[in-house]
Amino acid sequence: MIQLSYLDYSAVEGKSFLHRLSPTLKIIGMLVVLFVIVTVRSLPGLFLLYVILLILFLMAGIPKKIFSLTLYPLIFVFLFIFLSGVQIFFILLVFLKVLCGSTGVVLLLASTPYPSIFSVLGRVLPSSFVMALFLTYRSVFILLNVLEETQHALYLRGGVQWKHPWRSLINTSNAFGHLIIRGIDASEKMYESMNLRGFKDKIHYRGE
Amino acid sequence: MSHIHLPDGILPIWLWVSGYIAVILIWATLLRFMKKDNLTKRLPLLGMMAAVMVLGASVEIIPIAYHVNLTVISGILLGPSLIFLATFVVNVILALFGHGGITVIGLNTLILSIEGVAGYFLFRFLWRLLRRLTLATFLATFLALAISTFAMIGVVSLGTSHYEELIHQEEEGMIGFEFGKEKEAHQKESAPEKEVNLKRFISIILPLGFIGWVLEGIITVLVTRYIQRLRPDLLRLEG
Repeated sequence: MIQLSYLDYSAVEGKSFLHRLSPTLKIIGMLVVLFVIVTVRSLPGLFLLYVILLILFLMAGIPKKIFSLTLYPLIFVFLFIFLSGVQIFFILLVFLKVLCGSTGVVLLLASTPYPSIFSVLGRVLPSSFVMALFLTYRSVFILLNVLEETQHALYLRGGVQWKHPWRSLINTSNAFGHLIIRGIDASEKMYESMNLRGFKDKIHYRGE
Repeated sequence: MSHIHLPDGILPIWLWVSGYIAVILIWATLLRFMKKDNLTKRLPLLGMMAAVMVLGASVEIIPIAYHVNLTVISGILLGPSLIFLATFVVNVILALFGHGGITVIGLNTLILSIEGVAGYFLFRFLWRLLRRLTLATFLATFLALAISTFAMIGVVSLGTSHYEELIHQEEEGMIGFEFGKEKEAHQKESAPEKEVNLKRFISIILPLGFIGWVLEGIITVLVTRYIQRLRPDLLRLEG
């Protein structure tokens, strides 16, 4: 999740052709990728799509560090392999679908600033939903700072140690509790500052 | 553990489309009955709690592929209506990071919100019954996670015929060089292995899930006790 800030940095600071492309076109492109994933059942077809996405990833100059984010969903897929027994075709099919989907969404997020994505979504989805999405995304960054501070404090004081699992669990849970309380406090302040800036049921994006 | 981490293209279309339709209907109903002012006022809180759930989902326990959901504590703090909206937003954000497919957002929202809503009502009921925070929180979390895990298994089992179709795709497309009786004999031999084995899936999910339910139960108890020490008003335990 720490890579979230890299994603955002890449989306805002990137200068490649993919970054310059209209957000609407990129979202349509993502929908096409999704359509292929849902409908195509041949390994060569999915492999070709994955190669195309990898080429786009390299050409867009997205930081290599972000690439690991596209592999993260594979951890969970292992559980579903047991559904079919060890069928090589099924495993490869599932792996390729996972990789295409995760590479597609990471490409979209690493090349498009999130206000632009939410602005496009706001044209087709209910404003309350897009607002909730925007506030959540914003809150993730606020809480990420709190989480990093708390994590540093915990590690510096030896709060998380494998030798003392129970104490570590208590400290980690207290960190989550701290995160929740700080989050609720921050949400109250956020609402007040939004009101002061003239917030009335809708967030307006730059260019609207 | 208690939501589907399946990628796009694995579940049958009718299943995930039904998930989306159900979520849209529930969302529309909730918006119709909630006061607009109240929703607008609570949106920043919804966003923060959704962000807490997103961050919780990023703390991975690799050997058992488990991450904390924090859905029950969020349900207790947000209430049953807002937790549904929050889980929808959480699933969209997680899908944008490749954590679960985009097509399964609807189904995952239903499963996770079952956890949040059940957690809220179980906690209120057990608190009135037992008047012991630790026990009420642990039991509410444990039971809510168990219910949502069974809901997840139910949803996955609905797509059985579709998975079999995907597995047998190989025979149609890739092993076309086998001839006549030899091919039939080979298919008969391997038929039992090529069927979807839900029992095996359940026998792996449930023990791992049990560890997760206990772990999440303990974490939720500790978080709730921490909140009770510092901000008891948030838990609304009076009465």
